[in-house]
Amino acid sequence: MQIIEKIKTNTLLSNPTEIQKICLEKLQSNPLPNLKSELWRLSNKSKFLKFLDFSLNGSCTNFEFPYQNNSQNIIRLIIGENSQININGENYSINQLNNEELIAYIKQNVSSFDQNENWSDLLNLCLSFEQNILGLRIKGKKIPPLEILSHATHNSINAKTLILIIEKNCNLDLLQINLGTENSSLSQSTYFCLEANSSVNHGMVAYGENKSNLLNSLNVIQKQNSEYNLGSLHFKFNYARFEIRIKQSLGNAKTNIKGMQITKNDEQIATYTKIEFNGPNGFLDQINKSLADDKSHAIFEGSIIVPKIAQKTDASQLSRNLLLSNHAQIDTKPQLEIIADDVKCKHGATISQLNEEELFYMRSRGLTLAEASKLQLGSFFKEIISFIPVPKGRWDLLNKLLKQD
Amino acid sequence: MKDVVKEPYKYGFVTDIETEKISKGLNEDIIRLISSKKEEPEYLLNFRLNAFKKWQQMKEPNWAELGYDEINYQDIIYYSAPKQKEKISSLDQVDPKLLETFDKLGIPLTEQKKLTNVAVDAVFDSVSIATTFREELAEHGVIFCSISEAVKNHSDLIEKYLGSVVPATDNYFAALNSAVFSDGSFVYIPKGVTCPMDLSSYFRINSGDSGQFERTLIIAEESSSVSYLEGCTAPMFDTNTLHAAVVELIALDDASIKYSTVQNWYAGNEEGIGGIFNFVTKRGKCLGNRSKISWSQVETGSAITWKYPSCLLLGEESIGEFYSVALTNNLQQADTGTKMIHIGPKTKSTIVSKGISAGKSKNSYRGLVKMGTKAIGAKNYSQCDSMLIGDQASANTFPYITSQQQNSEIEHEASTCRISEDQLFYLQSRGIEFEEAVSMMVSGFCRDVFNQLPMEFAAEADKLLALKLEGSVG
Repeated sequence: MQIIEKIKTNTLLSNPTEIQKICLEKLQSNPLPNLKSELWRLSNKSKFLKFLDFSLNGSCTNFEFPYQNNSQNIIRLIIGENSQININGENYSINQLNNEELIAYIKQNVSSFDQNENWSDLLNLCLSFEQNILGLRIKGKKIPPLEILSHATHNSINAKTLILIIEKNCNLDLLQINLGTENSSLSQSTYFCLEANSSVNHGMVAYGENKSNLLNSLNVIQKQNSEYNLGSLHFKFNYARFEIRIKQSLGNAKTNIKGMQITKNDEQIATYTKIEFNGPNGFLDQINKSLADDKSHAIFEGSIIVPKIAQKTDASQLSRNLLLSNHAQIDTKPQLEIIADDVKCKHGATISQLNEEELFYMRSRGLTLAEASKLQLGSFFKEIISFIPVPKGRWDLLNKLLKQD
Repeated sequence: MKDVVKEPYKYGFVTDIETEKISKGLNEDIIRLISSKKEEPEYLLNFRLNAFKKWQQMKEPNWAELGYDEINYQDIIYYSAPKQKEKISSLDQVDPKLLETFDKLGIPLTEQKKLTNVAVDAVFDSVSIATTFREELAEHGVIFCSISEAVKNHSDLIEKYLGSVVPATDNYFAALNSAVFSDGSFVYIPKGVTCPMDLSSYFRINSGDSGQFERTLIIAEESSSVSYLEGCTAPMFDTNTLHAAVVELIALDDASIKYSTVQNWYAGNEEGIGGIFNFVTKRGKCLGNRSKISWSQVETGSAITWKYPSCLLLGEESIGEFYSVALTNNLQQADTGTKMIHIGPKTKSTIVSKGISAGKSKNSYRGLVKMGTKAIGAKNYSQCDSMLIGDQASANTFPYITSQQQNSEIEHEASTCRISEDQLFYLQSRGIEFEEAVSMMVSGFCRDVFNQLPMEFAAEADKLLALKLEGSVG
């Protein structure tokens, strides 16, 4: 809670930047979200307060990527490493946004933020120091895959902000990695603006260590004819919350989301998504998978909002959940809010355990129970992992997940 | 299309009958007055006062997707009854005007209409007017009477079960009802008895400034079964009338209760003026093993509907069902759904909900499915479909799903559609008129639910929907 106390008494920062000032002002009178509101009611209160119980750390420790870069063909960036980024290739360019552009963009976003709904973003911007805000403008085609990493440091709360403006007709593959370390809190906010006709394959992989916490927020604005594909994976966090807000600002855009969260021990991982269609002919295909074991708690709340203007929207949302222990809990709430009449919207949700008949089939062919369960889990995971773009191979995610068992 | 003559709300007449009303407002004295008028025993008065105390501390819920003007609870008459000199023993003594009213509503109250074989309890404003077929039911040991009579004659049952499913402090409107409830129906089916006929109660709000707060209690003993029907209408007033009812069902071992509602309260006019505010708490407790409670409802009326008929599945292998059609038109708002709380092992529940929104209305499904830690082998299947007619109406779906038991299965699906041009064209090209084609398709959309209704209700419901939608497509 020390962070909240400091926000209240306005002693958090000795020399706040313009952005920090604006966000602090929004939070000052009411520094906590309404924990009884729909968006927060399932959050474990003590875990959430633990998240805030670290001292703020803005300095950048040197960080080694967890694996070697043996390909020249990947561009790697670590948020917080202070170097001017200007990469110009044959058909593309990646440039860091200058300070004015950055401030203008953030200000524009913040102006529409609601204290409760965008609390994670407001907190992030309060805590994020200048060097921890990375803004990029990306143009062109045949861009080498990008890897962007955020990481936390021991015994502290860290805030990292990423802003990406994807110019018209640009295609990009991006893997974003959020790493927690022991006893740490990481607040990560990401802003995407996809201009017309652009397409992004976005991978979001987040995993922690013992007692690491994560507040991960993703805001995407899609202009017409853009395509946004997101594959996300969250695991090994004591407390993690992933908020996705996607707005198809003029409709006519395509969104595919495949997300997964895995909870063990007494972890709590939650995914909240809000997809808004602000124009006609939008498309959404979303699947979210949760797996809860031991005494853990997995949460998914997804809402799809189709106003009157969004005729001919085609949206589907599926929540598939595996509950593997008697002490674990799964909550899911796929939600539709529709006003337009000429739309196709559907959602579905299932909660079950591993399929017994399938297990029996495999065992009758000589597999042990452990092998058979592993095979079944593998197929459950694979649908999501195969959706995470290019550099995924190196992370060997599937093995990492299965080895956990 | 818009020119099609709209049939007005045909139950909108007011019966001019002398009524006994108490003064407006709500306080302890009023509650004592209601209680004394009904000559209630001490425990019931305490039950009321206790509920009232709790109610004063509670806040009106605002989480539902409903918008309405604040209700002034002090501007409501909490007791209104047609003046009658003495207790009636036969229908001949009932005021003919009252009988006429129920005749107009098509309710078979008089014994000549015996052929329909439905026993009816008619509730007019705050008081139960008449209950038919009593003797025949009594032969089988079935008790079917008004709550006030039950309080006098079957006090032990009332004391034991009243408030055992919906506690007085359950929610804001249940607390209000517990404090001021005036009448309602009481049903007791003894062990091993299958109720020989459908039971039915008919609720009628007649005066514009009195609220209606009825309470229904149905107890099905071991291995018994009963089917209960409920119908509601009200006259047209340009003020909003409050209706806050509580229904409690209790099913013991192997018992089954089927509760069907056709709710057609006055919905207000096209500009949304007037209409009933319908805040109802309905809950069934499957206490016994292999017991079953089935809710089916057709909700077409009321300006505001706030209603979640629920099942507490405690007994092993008990079953809960919920079949619902909710139709909203013009400026009606409905936030309705169900709760299936699985507590016992091998419990099963099925939810089928069909929402139709037309005009500028708002129709939300809100449902909770919860598997408790002991619900081993429990299963739930839910299906919620919405149909949108016109681009001004909204349809929302809020399913809350929680599971704490790995050996349970939950399946939920929802879809949204509209009446497709292709289908309309097909029907029209075969000589079926536009309006009829629409009504055929709506009826097809609701078929799964109508199949669950008792026959005479199903036919009525079909007609009701067609009537309500007239002129809204085009």
